Amino acid sequence: MKLRESTHYKVWFKDPWSYVTGAVLLAVFQTVTLAVTGSPWGVSGALANWGAWVYRAFGGSVDKWYYFSSEGAQALLDRGFLKDPGTMRNLGIIAGALFAILMASQFKIKKIKSWKQVVAAVLGGLLMGYGARIAFGCNIGALFSGIASLSLSGWVFAVFLFLGAIVGSKLLVKFFM
Amino acid sequence: MKEEVLDCNGEACPVPLVKAQNKLKELEVGDVLVVQVDHSCAMKNVPEWARKEGHNVEIEEVDDGEWEIVIQKAK
Repeated sequence: MKLRESTHYKVWFKDPWSYVTGAVLLAVFQTVTLAVTGSPWGVSGALANWGAWVYRAFGGSVDKWYYFSSEGAQALLDRGFLKDPGTMRNLGIIAGALFAILMASQFKIKKIKSWKQVVAAVLGGLLMGYGARIAFGCNIGALFSGIASLSLSGWVFAVFLFLGAIVGSKLLVKFFM
Repeated sequence: MKEEVLDCNGEACPVPLVKAQNKLKELEVGDVLVVQVDHSCAMKNVPEWARKEGHNVEIEEVDDGEWEIVIQKAK
Protein backbone atom coordinates (compact mmCIF):
# COMPACT_ATOMS: atom_id res chain seq x y z
CA MET A 1 0.00 0.00 0.00
CA LYS A 2 1.23 3.50 -0.82
CA LEU A 3 1.83 5.92 2.03
CA ARG A 4 -0.44 8.49 0.41
CA GLU A 5 -3.40 6.15 0.65
CA SER A 6 -2.78 5.09 4.24
CA THR A 7 -5.59 6.14 6.59
CA HIS A 8 -3.12 6.81 9.40
CA TYR A 9 -1.07 9.09 7.17
CA LYS A 10 -4.19 11.02 6.18
CA VAL A 11 -5.50 11.39 9.72
CA TRP A 12 -2.16 12.40 11.27
CA PHE A 13 -0.41 14.38 8.55
CA LYS A 14 -2.55 15.16 5.51
CA ASP A 15 -6.01 16.26 6.57
CA PRO A 16 -6.44 19.35 8.75
CA TRP A 17 -7.18 18.51 12.38
CA SER A 18 -10.53 19.64 13.78
CA TYR A 19 -10.90 22.88 15.76
CA VAL A 20 -11.76 20.78 18.84
CA THR A 21 -8.51 18.78 18.58
CA GLY A 22 -6.60 22.04 18.19
CA ALA A 23 -8.36 23.64 21.16
CA VAL A 24 -7.69 20.67 23.45
CA LEU A 25 -4.01 20.53 22.46
CA LEU A 26 -3.61 24.30 22.98
CA ALA A 27 -5.14 23.98 26.45
CA VAL A 28 -2.85 21.06 27.34
CA PHE A 29 0.31 22.79 26.13
CA GLN A 30 -0.69 26.09 27.76
CA THR A 31 -0.87 24.18 31.07
CA VAL A 32 2.50 22.52 30.44
CA THR A 33 4.04 25.89 29.55
CA LEU A 34 2.79 27.51 32.76
CA ALA A 35 3.99 24.56 34.86
CA VAL A 36 7.46 24.35 33.29
CA THR A 37 8.40 28.00 32.68
CA GLY A 38 6.34 29.73 35.37
CA SER A 39 4.69 32.09 32.87
CA PRO A 40 1.76 31.61 30.52
CA TRP A 41 2.30 31.29 26.78
CA GLY A 42 3.27 34.42 24.84
CA VAL A 43 4.75 34.96 21.39
CA SER A 44 5.45 38.61 20.62
CA GLY A 45 7.25 39.41 23.89
CA ALA A 46 10.16 37.21 22.81
CA LEU A 47 10.31 39.09 19.49
CA ALA A 48 10.85 42.36 21.40
CA ASN A 49 13.73 40.65 23.23
CA TRP A 50 15.19 39.60 19.86
CA GLY A 51 15.15 43.26 18.90
CA ALA A 52 16.95 44.17 22.13
CA TRP A 53 19.63 41.51 21.52
CA VAL A 54 20.18 42.70 17.97
CA TYR A 55 20.47 46.29 19.24
CA ARG A 56 22.98 45.14 21.92
CA ALA A 57 24.98 43.19 19.33
CA PHE A 58 25.54 46.49 17.51
CA GLY A 59 26.78 48.10 20.71
CA GLY A 60 23.50 49.72 21.81
CA SER A 61 22.09 49.62 25.32
CA VAL A 62 18.45 49.18 26.31
CA ASP A 63 19.11 49.44 30.07
CA LYS A 64 17.44 52.86 30.26
CA TRP A 65 14.45 51.95 28.09
CA TYR A 66 11.28 51.88 30.17
CA TYR A 67 10.06 48.67 28.54
CA PHE A 68 13.22 46.74 29.52
CA SER A 69 13.88 48.62 32.79
CA SER A 70 12.59 45.96 35.24
CA GLU A 71 15.11 43.66 36.92
CA GLY A 72 13.35 40.64 35.47
CA ALA A 73 13.64 41.96 31.91
CA GLN A 74 17.32 42.86 32.38
CA ALA A 75 18.11 39.43 33.87
CA LEU A 76 16.35 37.71 30.96
CA LEU A 77 18.32 39.76 28.42
CA ASP A 78 21.59 39.03 30.27
CA ARG A 79 20.90 35.26 30.30
CA GLY A 80 20.84 35.44 26.53
CA PHE A 81 19.05 34.10 23.49
CA LEU A 82 19.48 30.40 24.23
CA LYS A 83 18.12 30.59 27.79
CA ASP A 84 14.86 32.37 27.02
CA PRO A 85 11.93 29.90 27.04
CA GLY A 86 9.84 32.21 24.84
CA THR A 87 12.57 32.28 22.20
CA MET A 88 12.92 28.50 22.21
CA ARG A 89 9.15 28.13 21.90
CA ASN A 90 8.96 30.55 18.97
CA LEU A 91 11.73 28.65 17.16
CA GLY A 92 9.84 25.45 17.96
CA ILE A 93 6.67 26.88 16.41
CA ILE A 94 8.54 27.69 13.18
CA ALA A 95 10.25 24.27 13.07
CA GLY A 96 6.98 22.48 13.92
CA ALA A 97 5.03 24.35 11.26
CA LEU A 98 7.70 23.49 8.68
CA PHE A 99 7.63 19.83 9.74
CA ALA A 100 3.83 19.69 9.49
CA ILE A 101 3.71 21.25 6.03
CA LEU A 102 6.52 19.00 4.76
CA MET A 103 4.78 15.89 6.11
CA ALA A 104 1.59 16.91 4.32
CA SER A 105 3.72 17.64 1.20
CA GLN A 106 2.14 21.08 0.91
CA PHE A 107 5.31 23.17 1.03
CA LYS A 108 5.30 25.93 -1.53
CA ILE A 109 7.17 29.20 -1.91
CA LYS A 110 4.42 31.61 -2.85
CA LYS A 111 4.92 34.38 -5.30
CA ILE A 112 4.17 37.95 -4.35
CA LYS A 113 1.26 39.04 -6.49
CA SER A 114 1.45 42.79 -6.12
CA TRP A 115 3.20 45.66 -4.35
CA LYS A 116 -0.05 46.19 -2.49
CA GLN A 117 0.54 42.89 -0.69
CA VAL A 118 4.03 43.99 0.36
CA VAL A 119 2.83 47.35 1.64
CA ALA A 120 -0.09 45.74 3.50
CA ALA A 121 2.17 43.08 5.06
CA VAL A 122 4.78 45.59 6.24
CA LEU A 123 2.17 48.04 7.56
CA GLY A 124 0.24 45.22 9.23
CA GLY A 125 3.38 43.82 10.83
CA LEU A 126 4.44 47.20 12.20
CA LEU A 127 0.97 47.92 13.60
CA MET A 128 0.67 44.46 15.18
CA GLY A 129 4.15 44.65 16.67
CA TYR A 130 3.62 48.15 18.06
CA GLY A 131 0.12 47.32 19.31
CA ALA A 132 1.20 44.09 20.97
CA ARG A 133 3.96 45.89 22.89
CA ILE A 134 1.88 48.80 24.19
CA ALA A 135 -0.92 46.33 25.11
CA PHE A 136 1.64 44.07 26.84
CA GLY A 137 0.65 41.09 24.73
CA CYS A 138 -0.64 39.84 21.42
CA ASN A 139 -3.60 37.58 20.74
CA ILE A 140 -1.69 34.79 22.48
CA GLY A 141 -0.19 36.51 25.54
CA ALA A 142 -2.97 39.03 26.16
CA LEU A 143 -6.02 37.20 24.75
CA PHE A 144 -5.54 33.45 25.11
CA SER A 145 -3.31 33.48 28.20
CA GLY A 146 -5.27 36.41 29.66
CA ILE A 147 -8.63 34.66 29.44
CA ALA A 148 -7.11 31.35 30.58
CA SER A 149 -5.82 33.18 33.69
CA LEU A 150 -9.37 34.40 34.38
CA SER A 151 -8.20 37.95 33.85
CA LEU A 152 -10.69 40.65 32.82
CA SER A 153 -8.06 42.23 30.57
CA GLY A 154 -8.25 39.22 28.25
CA TRP A 155 -11.97 39.83 27.65
CA VAL A 156 -11.45 43.57 27.10
CA PHE A 157 -8.73 42.65 24.59
CA ALA A 158 -11.18 40.23 22.89
CA VAL A 159 -13.84 42.93 22.38
CA PHE A 160 -11.39 45.34 20.76
CA LEU A 161 -9.68 42.58 18.76
CA PHE A 162 -13.11 41.81 17.30
CA LEU A 163 -13.80 45.48 16.49
CA GLY A 164 -10.36 45.78 14.91
CA ALA A 165 -10.96 42.67 12.83
CA ILE A 166 -14.20 44.16 11.48
CA VAL A 167 -12.40 47.34 10.40
CA GLY A 168 -9.53 45.24 8.99
CA SER A 169 -11.90 43.07 6.92
CA LYS A 170 -13.59 46.17 5.46
CA LEU A 171 -10.19 47.62 4.48
CA LEU A 172 -9.14 44.27 3.02
CA VAL A 173 -12.24 44.02 0.84
CA LYS A 174 -11.80 47.67 -0.20
CA PHE A 175 -8.14 47.36 -1.23
CA PHE A 176 -7.79 43.73 -2.35
CA MET A 177 -10.97 42.94 -4.28
CA MET B 1 -22.93 25.52 -19.59
CA LYS B 2 -19.61 27.28 -19.26
CA GLU B 3 -16.52 26.90 -17.12
CA GLU B 4 -14.71 29.83 -15.55
CA VAL B 5 -11.28 29.76 -13.90
CA LEU B 6 -10.50 32.09 -11.01
CA ASP B 7 -6.78 32.39 -10.26
CA CYS B 8 -6.38 33.06 -6.54
CA ASN B 9 -2.82 31.74 -6.22
CA GLY B 10 -0.79 34.03 -4.01
CA GLU B 11 -3.88 35.47 -2.32
CA ALA B 12 -4.39 35.04 1.42
CA CYS B 13 -7.65 34.45 3.26
CA PRO B 14 -10.30 35.65 3.02
CA VAL B 15 -9.64 37.10 -0.46
CA PRO B 16 -10.18 33.79 -2.37
CA LEU B 17 -13.49 33.19 -0.56
CA VAL B 18 -14.88 36.67 -1.27
CA LYS B 19 -13.70 36.52 -4.90
CA ALA B 20 -15.32 33.09 -5.36
CA GLN B 21 -18.57 34.34 -3.83
CA ASN B 22 -18.67 37.37 -6.15
CA LYS B 23 -17.78 35.32 -9.23
CA LEU B 24 -20.35 32.61 -8.58
CA LYS B 25 -23.11 35.25 -8.39
CA GLU B 26 -22.39 36.13 -12.05
CA LEU B 27 -22.72 32.52 -13.24
CA GLU B 28 -25.83 30.58 -14.28
CA VAL B 29 -27.12 27.35 -12.71
CA GLY B 30 -25.08 24.43 -14.06
CA ASP B 31 -22.00 26.55 -14.76
CA VAL B 32 -18.69 25.47 -13.25
CA LEU B 33 -16.26 27.71 -11.36
CA VAL B 34 -12.70 26.51 -10.84
CA VAL B 35 -10.97 28.37 -8.01
CA GLN B 36 -7.17 27.95 -7.95
CA VAL B 37 -5.72 28.47 -4.48
CA ASP B 38 -2.41 27.93 -2.71
CA HIS B 39 -3.47 29.00 0.78
CA SER B 40 -4.47 25.99 2.85
CA CYS B 41 -7.22 27.79 4.78
CA ALA B 42 -8.89 28.75 1.47
CA MET B 43 -8.93 25.04 0.66
CA LYS B 44 -11.09 24.68 3.81
CA ASN B 45 -13.32 27.78 3.87
CA VAL B 46 -14.19 27.99 0.15
CA PRO B 47 -15.58 24.39 -0.04
CA GLU B 48 -17.29 24.84 3.35
CA TRP B 49 -19.18 27.90 2.12
CA ALA B 50 -20.03 26.36 -1.29
CA ARG B 51 -21.36 23.12 0.25
CA LYS B 52 -23.44 25.08 2.78
CA GLU B 53 -24.99 26.98 -0.15
CA GLY B 54 -25.87 23.60 -1.68
CA HIS B 55 -23.48 23.60 -4.66
CA ASN B 56 -21.53 20.55 -5.85
CA VAL B 57 -17.91 20.79 -4.79
CA GLU B 58 -14.78 18.81 -5.57
CA ILE B 59 -11.24 19.54 -4.44
CA GLU B 60 -8.23 18.47 -6.44
CA GLU B 61 -4.68 18.72 -5.18
CA VAL B 62 -2.87 19.73 -8.37
CA ASP B 63 0.62 20.23 -6.89
CA ASP B 64 2.42 20.57 -3.54
CA GLY B 65 0.35 23.16 -1.69
CA GLU B 66 -1.84 23.96 -4.70
CA TRP B 67 -5.46 23.13 -5.12
CA GLU B 68 -8.31 23.52 -7.57
CA ILE B 69 -11.72 23.82 -6.02
CA VAL B 70 -14.34 22.88 -8.60
CA ILE B 71 -17.76 24.33 -7.83
CA GLN B 72 -20.84 23.58 -9.91
CA LYS B 73 -23.57 26.11 -9.30
CA ALA B 74 -26.66 24.15 -8.24
CA LYS B 75 -29.22 26.90 -7.73
